[in-house]
Amino acid sequence: MSASHEGSGVAGRQGAVRAPQGIAGGILLIALAALALWLTRDLDQGTLNAMGPAMLPRWLAVGVGLSGLALIAYGFIRVGEPLERWSLRGPFFIILSILAFAVTIRPFSFGPLALPGLGLVVAGPLGIILGGYATPEARFRELLILSLSLTPFCMLLFGDLLNLPIPVFPQELAGLFPAGWSQKAIMRATASVLIVAGIAVFFATKGSRNKTIDVADHSGRI
Amino acid sequence: MGDFLSNLSLGFGVALSLQNLLLAFLGCLVGTLIGVLPGVGPIATIAMLLPITFGFDPTGALIMLAGIYYGAQYGGSTTAILVNIPGEATSVVTALDGHQMARQGRAGVALGIAAIGSFFAGTVATLVIAALGAPLTGLALIFGPTEYFSLMVMGLVFAVVLARGSILKAIAMILVGVLLSTVGLDLETGEERMTFGLAFLSDGIDFAVLAMGIFGIAEIMRNLDHTEHRDVVRQAIGRLLPNREDFRQSYKPVIRGTLIGAILGILPGNGAVLGPFASYTLEKKIAKDPRRFGRGAIEGVAGPESANNAGAQTSFIPLLTLGIPPNAVMALMVGAMTIHGIIPGPQVMTKNPSLFWGMIASMWVGNLMLLVINLPMVGMWVRLLKVPYRMLFPAILMFCSIGIYSINSLPTDVMFIALFGLVGYTLIKLGFEPAPMLLGFVLGKLMEENLRRALILSRGSLSTFIDHPVSAGLLAVAVILLVIALLPSIRKGRDEVFTE
Repeated sequence: MSASHEGSGVAGRQGAVRAPQGIAGGILLIALAALALWLTRDLDQGTLNAMGPAMLPRWLAVGVGLSGLALIAYGFIRVGEPLERWSLRGPFFIILSILAFAVTIRPFSFGPLALPGLGLVVAGPLGIILGGYATPEARFRELLILSLSLTPFCMLLFGDLLNLPIPVFPQELAGLFPAGWSQKAIMRATASVLIVAGIAVFFATKGSRNKTIDVADHSGRI
Repeated sequence: MGDFLSNLSLGFGVALSLQNLLLAFLGCLVGTLIGVLPGVGPIATIAMLLPITFGFDPTGALIMLAGIYYGAQYGGSTTAILVNIPGEATSVVTALDGHQMARQGRAGVALGIAAIGSFFAGTVATLVIAALGAPLTGLALIFGPTEYFSLMVMGLVFAVVLARGSILKAIAMILVGVLLSTVGLDLETGEERMTFGLAFLSDGIDFAVLAMGIFGIAEIMRNLDHTEHRDVVRQAIGRLLPNREDFRQSYKPVIRGTLIGAILGILPGNGAVLGPFASYTLEKKIAKDPRRFGRGAIEGVAGPESANNAGAQTSFIPLLTLGIPPNAVMALMVGAMTIHGIIPGPQVMTKNPSLFWGMIASMWVGNLMLLVINLPMVGMWVRLLKVPYRMLFPAILMFCSIGIYSINSLPTDVMFIALFGLVGYTLIKLGFEPAPMLLGFVLGKLMEENLRRALILSRGSLSTFIDHPVSAGLLAVAVILLVIALLPSIRKGRDEVFTE
């Protein structure tokens, strides 16, 4: 996939700045270098014979900073790429989805904020639905069914088949299951409930789908 | 020769065990799936599936990961031919003539020759790896820290020269990658470096987190920038087997493509990507009627497809023999190996021969499986292309979140993939390629270790890198390459290769 799709470059190339993308990149690199230099300010550089912890990071930061300066200098000399248009919707919902997953999968506390661990049964659908809104084409019904089928699939794949340690269910609610049930039995039971719920949603809302169907779906373009 | 055969038979013994056969098949299947779906690259997939392989023994895990990689090379051609979108960077050229063939009702033949060419290339590449493995490993064993450091410098310079876009930006990315690798406890003094005082950073930035963030998550963000537009060919796919005339036209391109791909694949940098471009350019140049290219010439599919598969496989050579990953995918394999407690390098072959040869033999087995997976099942892959991206990416997102959480059970790891995702997206938007950064990150730790050792041995004298003849030679190659790449006339040619 090629990078630039917006043909708005011409206007940006007048004046002193000839490669806005390069200059922005250069500023980013210099900021990064400055951060690294500041973070290593108290560390010992050592000698070449016995290198201290700061020597390599410091010289690398200098290299990064110099590259940044060179990029900025070129940005005033040579004509280059314009800045691309940024869409904020995608990154915003993607990050929101990942953060929602991270804070709900197991007990989480940050300062005064404390959340009980809700397990995959909540974190999964929450992450999928929030993430799904990263595109303007998102449809709630579709995402709901996707989340109700993908979450049990992940439970069975990661938890049951591969034995990876993933909390499935809120700890407080574990008492709902008969005392003798193993972690895996709880996982399977939860997964089946989700699957049943998914199928129920699918059939219950089947009628509403036909009204909103996209004509483009039948033209061979998908 | 006797050694060669006994090694291969040891390898096949390992590769043909039921478990490893299954894992190879699974890897090829998943890889094909990933290759077919536009918008999911092999790097992101391997990063995503790393946690899944934790449960297997190291040989099985690596066999599966390798299968994913060359499976994706194969699958990418299906999308390139049928939808005119390269499912994967290495099949960009295949889309040119392959899609035209499909429009003429010859999609089946294009898929067929791509598969047959790839299989031939895979077979040859497997033999090349087996033949070069022992001598190169022997060479690597006499390397000291000085030579190793210089070798890695040369590898990184290759990566810069072969990367797309601005050389200055590629250099900056490598420096940033090495800089990131220095975060965490200093190995010798035990002091914390650039950790912001955060406990989970004292072990350094987790490799899987960085890779999944800057490739997996950033890739999703970038794909969401453009509204999707897939134009699947609606003509019948037609017969799959090329006829005698097709074979006559394509057997030479297949052989040439295999050679070009195998050589470029060994080079550090992005060999598997460069191979198809070089093969296409060559075929077009020596063709009697170059005007046919771009209008459905079978040579334009046969050559590049063979080249990318050969390159994908020979890129394992530097990793398996020298312990140096030549590209981002191999960098992930290093991550996988270290997670399984194997230090990549020349010792792998002597200490762990069943892993080394088993993996090589499994590549040939995997290539055979790919023939079966791809040709008869092509109808299934076409149907898969109809899954819209708006349904696909939430699933990828979920896999990344669960996968990264299950490595250390740390919610902070999950948050970090969001952070690195944003970083990766910003870098792409500003025209930086993230692949050299990952390479720098992986090589960074090794380089620092070897640099320190070399300097201790020489009592702090930097001239040690020039006094050792092998090291001096490697550095000279690096300098010459860099100078050549910066010469204006050559730069122009390099840019043309990448933009065609």
